[in-house]
Amino acid sequence: MKTKGKPSPILALTSAALSLPAFAVTQPVETELSIMTSSYKEGDIPAHKVLTGSDERYEIDIHQFHVLTPMGRNWGFSFNTSRETMSGASPQGTVEGLDGQPALIMSGATIRESRTEIGATTHRYFDNGYMGIGMSHSQENDYEADAVILSGEWDFNQKLATLAVGLSYSSDVIEPTDALLFGRVEKENKHSGSFTIGWTQVLNKTSVLQSGISLTKHDGYLADPYKLRDVRPDERSEWAVSLRYRRYAEKSNGAWHLDYRYYEDDFGVHSHTLQTAWHQNLGASFQIVPSVRYYSQREADFYLPFDDFTLPLTVNQSSDYRLSTYGAFTFGLKGIVNHNNWAITASFDRYISAKKYGLSDSEFEHPALVNFTLASIGFDIRF
Amino acid sequence: MNRLILVMILLGLSSCQSVQPWERGALARPEMQLEVGKLGSALYRQVYFSKEASSGGSEVAGAGCGCN
Amino acid sequence: MELYQFPFHAMGCPCELRFYGIKRQHVEQVAMRCIEEAKRFEQKYSRYRSDSVTGRINQSAGTKPVTIDQETRAILHYAGVCFEQSDGLFDITSGVLRRVWNKEQLCIPLETEIEKCLDLVGWTKVKMTADTVYLSIRGMELDFGGVVKEYAADALSILARSASIIHGLVNLGGDISIVGPQPDNKPWRIGIVHPTKAENPIAVTQLHSGALATSGGYERFFDIEGKRFSHLINPRTGWPVDSLLSVSVAADKAVVAGSISSIALLQGRDGLAWLNSSGASYLAVDSELGCYGHLVTGDDEFS
Repeated sequence: MKTKGKPSPILALTSAALSLPAFAVTQPVETELSIMTSSYKEGDIPAHKVLTGSDERYEIDIHQFHVLTPMGRNWGFSFNTSRETMSGASPQGTVEGLDGQPALIMSGATIRESRTEIGATTHRYFDNGYMGIGMSHSQENDYEADAVILSGEWDFNQKLATLAVGLSYSSDVIEPTDALLFGRVEKENKHSGSFTIGWTQVLNKTSVLQSGISLTKHDGYLADPYKLRDVRPDERSEWAVSLRYRRYAEKSNGAWHLDYRYYEDDFGVHSHTLQTAWHQNLGASFQIVPSVRYYSQREADFYLPFDDFTLPLTVNQSSDYRLSTYGAFTFGLKGIVNHNNWAITASFDRYISAKKYGLSDSEFEHPALVNFTLASIGFDIRF
Repeated sequence: MNRLILVMILLGLSSCQSVQPWERGALARPEMQLEVGKLGSALYRQVYFSKEASSGGSEVAGAGCGCN
Repeated sequence: MELYQFPFHAMGCPCELRFYGIKRQHVEQVAMRCIEEAKRFEQKYSRYRSDSVTGRINQSAGTKPVTIDQETRAILHYAGVCFEQSDGLFDITSGVLRRVWNKEQLCIPLETEIEKCLDLVGWTKVKMTADTVYLSIRGMELDFGGVVKEYAADALSILARSASIIHGLVNLGGDISIVGPQPDNKPWRIGIVHPTKAENPIAVTQLHSGALATSGGYERFFDIEGKRFSHLINPRTGWPVDSLLSVSVAADKAVVAGSISSIALLQGRDGLAWLNSSGASYLAVDSELGCYGHLVTGDDEFS
């Protein structure tokens, strides 16, 4: 019998065995534990584009932890934490430079901040799906967010199709540092509600497609309190549609991923995101995954390349690069070493953004567009 | 935009064969899942959420952060 | 904490539960529930009982579909995956070939007899809907034997664990599922049956968790016209397989270990190569009693 290029029979039989009733369908039967450490570095801004302040941008160290454990026959419990420590300067304003091009007013000395997020979710598993409820809390010295998340999945048509529904609500409090000193807002609130629905369909023996829609509504203080002049509407409605396609190629023993998302909001931003990855198995225990992501957006209606201090404070304006016209490419490479019940993952991603990849024409490229590298190493174990 | 939704619905509903559970070995493979690597996916979502204007799509949002 | 042993007989094999516990009463209660569960599997899937699921399906072959429950359906699905993964070697409809190949046979069957019997063999001739199964030709037979015993070992082990047995093992006629390691967190030492001498193990392996299943081995051969034949018959050719004597596989689940070891035996001469490429932890014994595989580490070997 030929086994070359065929998936491991042990893996195929083990996953098939999971649908035997003693192994309780969807419920995890093992505890899984994951840790990951990542280093995120933004490239510095060319000195001639910085009018005042530091040209050093963000560097973030991220440590993540996740554990999922079954409880009894029908319940599962998961717990996540993540801690980020960041340092670097961020743009506070954009003005016209001597050359007529936009120049940045950056924050001064390097700031060192941290963010801690903890989340816990409980799942109740049924024969044909699960329901989950989770809470999460994110804490920074000037920002606090609490969220409740409800999620559920239902299988249809002998598990050929799955409906996934998610609802979340987040309540955030913003308390900028040195508010009095710099005339920043003292304390503001923001509320976000989000609804996601997805339909996953098995197309044939080797491919599956998920279509999803998400709707999100924010209200409250949506501007950046650290910018010299940043006035935004106090409501934002967003919606996005997504497609995720997975196809297994038996001959080459690899899987192809293709993801697309269209996003639009009432700030006037819309964007396309296209991402593709190839998961190549090398023998039974190695996998290598090259990937490319393309992102392209149109600027918000009230985006201005230069802050306009003559406009009244009631008129919306922002020179945030994230609201400008630009696009970006991410090139990624990931390697996975798998052994019976553990795996080590290492990945490297390079992100480059530029106005020319954007969706509409605009005169000026924002000088604060980021280029970053992201390197991660992770360890997973099941027992 | 409406056309895109229509295409999505058509793709979702048509062209599906009946695949018997014992023929789903390939679909059950770890690299065939919608999300591969829980922490990695969460990290990418967080990074793109804080550096780009867009978010959402197929995953439920979690707690916000001061990064956006 | 004390070790309690519960020997019993089910599915045509000697079986044993080994559970550690503090209160004798509790351990006994759990053991009784496990033995009841084993008997339930035996009654439900025995091919010798006309009122079993197997009996009902086989009696209706060629006449009408039979309504089945979710458990049976899931087991059939699993058997379907085995069929696929083995390119048709592992086939739960191949039992009818015993009609032409058995130890009562005085001469080697004629090719035409085999051909006729092969018409009744084939997983693809089994028609399934959401809640029925139908053997499309009169005379066809299903035999759950190659799946249910191993699956039952897993099910009993899970049952014991859900009843708070932390240290223990389930042994159903050599198919072993570990409930949990020994109280000092040491692995269980498990003897692997000698293919020709039932009393002495050919090797000993250590298992901390997971399962071990053995296919082939002792008393599984018969002679016709002075020639030795294996009880294992290739459902594609209709002829007994010239195979390894026995294959033991360790895996997460006994049901998976059992299918891997059966498939390896059915591969005949290619069995070893297939085992190597599958990445399984195994111990294979060939007809010269040579041992292969890395399931047994050096110091445990004694033969």
